[in-house]
Amino acid sequence: MKTFTFYKPTELEGASKLLSGVGRGYLLAGGTDLMTEMKQGVIEPELLISASDIKDMSGIVWNDSGITIGSMVTLDEIASDTNIESRIKSLAEAAISIATPQIRNIATLGGNLCQRPRCWYYRNVRFNCLKKGGDKCFAIGGSNKYNAILGGGDSCYIVHPSDSATVLVALKAKVDIFRNFQRVTMPIRDFFIGPEVDVTRENILEPGDILISVQIPKESMGGKNVFLKAKERQSMDFAIASIAAMAKMENGLITEVGIAAGGVAPTPWHLTSTERKLIGYCVDDINVQAISAEAFADAKILGQNGYKLQLAQTYLERALNLVLR
Amino acid sequence: MENNVTQVAFKINGKEHTLDIDNRFTLLDILRDKLNLTGAKKGCDLGECGACTVTLDGKAVNSCQILAVKIASSEIKTIEGLNQGNILHPLQISFIENDGGQCGYCTPGFIMGAYPLFESRRNVSVEEIRLALAGNLCRCNAYGAIIDSVVGAIGIKADG
Amino acid sequence: MVDQNAHPPSVGTSFQRVDLRDKVLGIAKYTADLSLPDMLHARVLRSPHPHANILSIDVQPALNMVGVHDILTPFNVGEGKVAPDVPILDTKVRFVGDEIAVVAAVNVYEADAAIDLIKVSYEVLPFSTNMDTSMKKGNPKIHTQGNVVNGGPIVEARGNVEEGFDQADYIVEDSFTTPGHHPASLEPRAALASWDGTRLTMWKPSRGIHADKAILASALDVNPNNITVIGPVMGGGYGSKDETRTSVLAALLSMRTGRPVKLELSREEEFLAGRRRHSTFTKIKMGVKKDGTVTAVHAKTVMDTGAYLSSGPGVVRRAGQGALYLYRCPNVKYEGQIVYTNTPTAGSYRALGAPQGHFALESLSDQVADKLSIDPLKFRLMNHVGPEGQPGERTTPKNQIIDTQPVEGGIPFSSNELRQCLILGADAIGWERRDQIQTPTGFIKRGIGMSMFIYRGGPGGQSKAKMSLDEDGFFTLNVGFMDVGEGSSTVVLQMAADTLGVLPQMVRLNSGNTDNTPQSPMTAGSTLTFSAGQAAVRAANQLAQIVIEAASEVIGLTDTEGLYITPEGVCSARGDEVNFTDLAKKSGLLKTTVSVTPGSRDYIVNSFGAHFAEIEVDIETGYVKVIKYVAAHDSGTIINPRMAESQVRGGISQMMGFTFLEDMEIDDLSGVTLNASFLEHKSPTIMEYPEIEVIFADSIDPVGPFGAKSLGETPCIAPAPTIANALYHATGVRLNHLPFTPDNVLTALRKLR
Repeated sequence: MKTFTFYKPTELEGASKLLSGVGRGYLLAGGTDLMTEMKQGVIEPELLISASDIKDMSGIVWNDSGITIGSMVTLDEIASDTNIESRIKSLAEAAISIATPQIRNIATLGGNLCQRPRCWYYRNVRFNCLKKGGDKCFAIGGSNKYNAILGGGDSCYIVHPSDSATVLVALKAKVDIFRNFQRVTMPIRDFFIGPEVDVTRENILEPGDILISVQIPKESMGGKNVFLKAKERQSMDFAIASIAAMAKMENGLITEVGIAAGGVAPTPWHLTSTERKLIGYCVDDINVQAISAEAFADAKILGQNGYKLQLAQTYLERALNLVLR
Repeated sequence: MENNVTQVAFKINGKEHTLDIDNRFTLLDILRDKLNLTGAKKGCDLGECGACTVTLDGKAVNSCQILAVKIASSEIKTIEGLNQGNILHPLQISFIENDGGQCGYCTPGFIMGAYPLFESRRNVSVEEIRLALAGNLCRCNAYGAIIDSVVGAIGIKADG
Repeated sequence: MVDQNAHPPSVGTSFQRVDLRDKVLGIAKYTADLSLPDMLHARVLRSPHPHANILSIDVQPALNMVGVHDILTPFNVGEGKVAPDVPILDTKVRFVGDEIAVVAAVNVYEADAAIDLIKVSYEVLPFSTNMDTSMKKGNPKIHTQGNVVNGGPIVEARGNVEEGFDQADYIVEDSFTTPGHHPASLEPRAALASWDGTRLTMWKPSRGIHADKAILASALDVNPNNITVIGPVMGGGYGSKDETRTSVLAALLSMRTGRPVKLELSREEEFLAGRRRHSTFTKIKMGVKKDGTVTAVHAKTVMDTGAYLSSGPGVVRRAGQGALYLYRCPNVKYEGQIVYTNTPTAGSYRALGAPQGHFALESLSDQVADKLSIDPLKFRLMNHVGPEGQPGERTTPKNQIIDTQPVEGGIPFSSNELRQCLILGADAIGWERRDQIQTPTGFIKRGIGMSMFIYRGGPGGQSKAKMSLDEDGFFTLNVGFMDVGEGSSTVVLQMAADTLGVLPQMVRLNSGNTDNTPQSPMTAGSTLTFSAGQAAVRAANQLAQIVIEAASEVIGLTDTEGLYITPEGVCSARGDEVNFTDLAKKSGLLKTTVSVTPGSRDYIVNSFGAHFAEIEVDIETGYVKVIKYVAAHDSGTIINPRMAESQVRGGISQMMGFTFLEDMEIDDLSGVTLNASFLEHKSPTIMEYPEIEVIFADSIDPVGPFGAKSLGETPCIAPAPTIANALYHATGVRLNHLPFTPDNVLTALRKLR
């Protein structure tokens, strides 16, 4: 590990200045992912700016419009919050499914949303892949069983590693960002960007930008919501495919719906066309099996990742059956 | 603070320490290399095995994943802080009685992983024990005896 | 002369593991926990290429760094070898991760920075990441002798296998592959070396300190009398820690710098530079008559040993033992071939080849039963090798010890309770309800499967033990073997104490230092309890005699008639008594040294077992859940039931990784190992741990110490075929390729549709 200077600012302004100033600066939240990248030599920060003492980034606040979760709130705090457990079950389910108890005690929501991908070729310093500024995706024609079946375009086939991101897209959450010394709010689905926009990053954050908090609107609560995650190992594993689904019904009609898939694309995959086939329809008229089978029609198989298509379809079918019945 | 060494103070096993440390040092490096507390092991140094588990302000964490400069004024407990001389902690007694370790390299991490559970609850299910220890690898796979050990220790606590 | 009624024996009780207290207190010292004053830290520069010649290395910029003390390269380490095909450092690298240069610096950060400054000029060579490519004619040789070790397979046969197939009504044939998964002991390799100008002291995790000493002496050209090897507590190895390059490099740096040097491998390095299990391809066929009699078995295994040979020859031989000996059959043949590839080295890993061989054999056996429409358990009950052994003529000379992996027939087993294992295991899993548990509808399918195994029973190399009554009235058992975490020191201590007739608390075990322990073989091949146990029993018997003779003098008797040992001392029939402390003071040190060659001239000593599993398969997701697992073992007398049970459960759970999760993933285009981490090489966690019932057959081996046979590795042999057979029962799909990850299961199920 190369040496670095350590800062612990208390204000967003100061942190932002350090991040956009001279030298490669990185914001340190829980650090569980950042430390791994530093130890493996994937990144070499010159400045580490701890977010631990920055105001505005901590705490869970319920209000009339929903809930605001500071980006420094830990995954364990989310998983063990009884209000979240009862009102936004899918978020609690996602949080508890991540990594290990030790990591959940340290890792933050913001860090989970901004963590870097787990693609073997990206994580290994021996490969200068597209994401690291190289000119080649090694997963194409390589070992690609964990790579994307959707959204890779012709470039990068990482899958977005965040389970909380999948859930928050389905819940139509918003993110608050500190940018140019002011607070900007945007839908979380616009926060994530695919390789077609910029292959070297997974979200819109520019140097100096800080993810402050996440808002989940009241409209996404109260109905049924669920997070299903396929993994090879029951602990310490990322999703090989996952589905987050939320639905509300009135008199048999579907009034609110949100669905996203994880582990299949470089971004949390918002299944908008599936949502359109459900919203406003009568539950009894829905053919869950047919809708699930059509949902991933655009999938492109790399060679070893074809099973993900079946997993995603199966989990979508199971998730829809859970939230619509 | 424009340099690569920082002075940090924290409490480890009840004792105050103030150290000038290389910014790159993790909590595990401090424990093993500066304080000779070698009970926490460097099994992977990437937060993927749990052998370095200690508690930080009461919560189980991978000490290899935490930069020491980040946790100034925190309170840390390691396996060496569990027993009081020859008076062993109930978890330690139970791990001996239930043969809860083989090669033993993971054992301090498992005990510290179970410690917050022991402190916070009187009755736990086997499923809760599994979830609490899901971040600790045992390559001897003595998981059955480890579960028995934690069950046994919590039994000791309920009786006491 | 030993009073059997004085106190209950320790053998057969769950005496506490001797070193567990230190382990739970966090004070047990492993190699990486040790440090010495003025110690330097070493780091290794590893090859980025899978196959290349090193033309030159420029270390000057690195050497110019203030904190850097020395750098080893292939050009300055001399001609020594750590293994026949492994020089100390070589001008040729054979896999991504192979050692090129080693830096000694004041700390690891400086050492890492120096590594970055070393410039290596390579001649990059074509390479091979798999056996097919390696075996193609004209492909570049990884070693000068060629890529097929010894130019071809070993061949072992009994009877005439062609004639056997001629007699068959049905011949069933299939192919199987197994992954090169990694033992990944939680403790990475480490070595601490200290050279004082004439003597080398080496601390390293070791399963054979005396063997390590010999290798260090030969590689470094140092007189063995000037080398001390110390084995601190070892954090697991499962066979894999016999690699010695790491320690030789640390030693050489210490000799050159005159300062202690510690070399600790990172987790990634442990995956790359450690030893994995050999991946295999096996083609196997079995001939049977309509009545179910087996007429012939023929297996061919090709094994990938990676860049270096390590223990390959032993492993490939053992992969064939099931095919040669598990089924009663006059005509059998096994061919085993080892191939080099440009991948991390394979070597010893718990049960050495037997899991690979049995996966093929026991999967095929179910297919044969299917062909015959016979219940798989019944087929095995009809055909398993019995106590009388195999048909045929003994060829081993009468006065010679019988090999534990024989080929010839005509020799009975010392004990063989395989049948008991089959019956008890079947009963425990509820085999009789097997036909009723299947669910015709729904996506969850249930199945029950089983398999059986045969394995070496424990006789190993010549074993020595010293035992003494010390001045403080305690006994010391002095042994040269290493407890590698499995608990051998505890069971050997129990046997010695019982033989002597004292409580095990009265006996100290001295081990782990070559200066004051007798020569001993490595802890390998499940031989410790049997072989070191025999030596300990004999030493204790002799010491008992010596102690009684000394007591007769102290008491003032003319002979030893009527004297017996009690937990406190020696008593005579008429009531004279001398306690051990007084005896030791008056008689001086009483001691004995024994050497035994373990084994039998009349019998094959083998261990046996049968495993059963009930599983659920989600056919839409490929996820398999083990509902219940039953392991029935014949390991003779169980010396320490709780530790034995833990050993069996641990072995099974470890092999759930081999069965469901683990493989070393090598990138074919670059030779890079992609998943050299605990996160990506997915070993089972406590969440995967299934309910495991352990049954020990009622068995006392007439040859083994206290009737014991081997147990260390045997739990690892049957899990994969047991699960494969349960999967077939549940789904009607046979999976011949491990591991059974969701993608592999889904792919296989799709082929059926």
